[in-house]
Amino acid sequence: MNVLVWLGVILLVLMIWVGGKSGARSFISLFFNFGVVFFTMFFMLDPNANPILITFIACIVIGCVSLFYINEVNSKTVMAFISTMITISILLFFIVLISKKLMIQGFGEEEEEAIAGMSLYIGVDFIKIGASVIIMSTIGAIMDVAISIATTMHEVFKHAPSLSKKELFKSGVSIGRDILGTDTNTLFFAFFGGYLALLIWFKDLHYSIGDIVNSKIFSSEMILILCAGLGIALVIPIASWINAYYLVRAREKLNKV
Amino acid sequence: MNRIRNITTWQWTLFLILALCCIGSIAFVNQNHSFYDRPIAKVIDTTIEKETDVTDMHGNEDTLFVQQIVARIMNGEEKGQEVQLANEYSSSGAYDQQYRIGNEVFVSIDSTAGEQLMGSITDVKRDTYVLIVAWIFVFTLLIVGHKQGLLAIVGFVINVLVLSFALDIYVKYYEVSLLVVCGICILLFTTISLLLVSGRTEKTYAAIVATLVATVVSLSITSLVIWITSGNGLRYEEMQFLTRPYHTIFMAGLFIGSLGAIMDVAITMSSSMFALYERDHTISVKALKASGIDIGKDIMGTITSILFFAYISGSIPMLILYLKNASPVGFALSMNLSLELARALAGGIGIVLTIPIGLYTAIFFIERKRARI
Repeated sequence: MNVLVWLGVILLVLMIWVGGKSGARSFISLFFNFGVVFFTMFFMLDPNANPILITFIACIVIGCVSLFYINEVNSKTVMAFISTMITISILLFFIVLISKKLMIQGFGEEEEEAIAGMSLYIGVDFIKIGASVIIMSTIGAIMDVAISIATTMHEVFKHAPSLSKKELFKSGVSIGRDILGTDTNTLFFAFFGGYLALLIWFKDLHYSIGDIVNSKIFSSEMILILCAGLGIALVIPIASWINAYYLVRAREKLNKV
Repeated sequence: MNRIRNITTWQWTLFLILALCCIGSIAFVNQNHSFYDRPIAKVIDTTIEKETDVTDMHGNEDTLFVQQIVARIMNGEEKGQEVQLANEYSSSGAYDQQYRIGNEVFVSIDSTAGEQLMGSITDVKRDTYVLIVAWIFVFTLLIVGHKQGLLAIVGFVINVLVLSFALDIYVKYYEVSLLVVCGICILLFTTISLLLVSGRTEKTYAAIVATLVATVVSLSITSLVIWITSGNGLRYEEMQFLTRPYHTIFMAGLFIGSLGAIMDVAITMSSSMFALYERDHTISVKALKASGIDIGKDIMGTITSILFFAYISGSIPMLILYLKNASPVGFALSMNLSLELARALAGGIGIVLTIPIGLYTAIFFIERKRARI
């Protein structure tokens, strides 16, 4: 049997064993998310479509699946959703700007062998596709931080309902700081692992530091890692502010009534 | 006013040093042309000479441009001279790009026709912008994360250095097995990252033990599956950048890749279990187990999806290229996604396994602490 089927079955069994019903739901949402990425790619095949717009829609769908299906529609998930979208918009803008300057779109010379024999003039905009890839790689982590901050801030507010907006914001940021380290770690290692072969290639072929830093493939990897970290850092103040704003306003409304 | 007084001199010094480093390094990369052996030229004028619409054999339409570039050489013997460069690029830019005035490129000088140098562009000088983004990253993490941000950066830098050093050893000595090197790396990565994240406490030790056990167990499961199926369904031929046996490189990459996520789960489990214990020293093992599983359920889904997105998204550009070249969908997917999916699934297995393992390790450590008191 196929390795992937085996691993998938083992994962499903483990998830149900550990998590019961919610484990099964997590597994289903993984496949849902996979399907969304897959469809996004199909829409990107159309040269007239704007990959950035498609990514944005895909992010909305992914957000709905991961936040509203796994949890449910309530003020926590809605706030997490809004903060994720705002962060992604800012990040998207930054990434497009940077990848134009750096010219890191498409494939590097190290990948020549893989793309040999294929037509490269395919009419789609690789700069925008590159930006989409970065966003899609980090959306999981950004959502994770957003939902953790939203949940904990709601808890804090429940126990101390008289907190001011500023104090709430501060508590949100301090929660975020605790997750910052571990989440950036998760992504760093994921990318390290994926590019281990590339690193060995650089060492084997005796690339100098100058060669490595300027090569397309390495700089695009670096930008991916750095932007992922930036996204995780950015969502912390954004989510804290939005939650603080919402909670204080909800309280004012309640007081008026 | 209060805020400013709260910032200690230590923080000011650190900030000042960083600002100086930042300015210094950016000034350096702007002026470092003479450190490169390859000639670098700065584009000072461009004209588009030709524009043709092309359609390839699969019916994809694109536009090709020929660009004539005049650039000034910035280093080497020809410093200060102008060079003529020709550049052909497409509007999709999969393997080429348009150059604009001010871009710095590596060139190779092909001939000298009289006074005029002729050459071609080999690559783009990207160090300036990589550095700028790196500094933006550092400052954002520091501003948002303060101490935790600083520790995250320090951890990242140390881990990169450890990995680079380990690969140096691996490349230099053929007899050293990559799996041994990576095993030691994993040990170091785990200890360093977790100590930096949560300091020298019992819960850190519990998390380190849980991470290592979970890594070994999930490594065995994945290896076993690959061995039983003899790798059926994994398309190693699409693995890029290969200078060495692919199987070990894949396995090593797989484990370093899932390590971050496993550590994340392990530290979350152990710190919340210890928090429960701190709140109530008489809490029963049964209650600890029940809340541990609840916490595990909550984080399991999100962390596996972080890994899924990180791995799957990276193959989008190559998939698009395949599909646009009229590859059948099934073939394109199995060629480009099999390894990524295997990584994501194996990582997921590691994550889920870490929940019970982390739970029992934390309970073990808590019980030990209780027995001591």
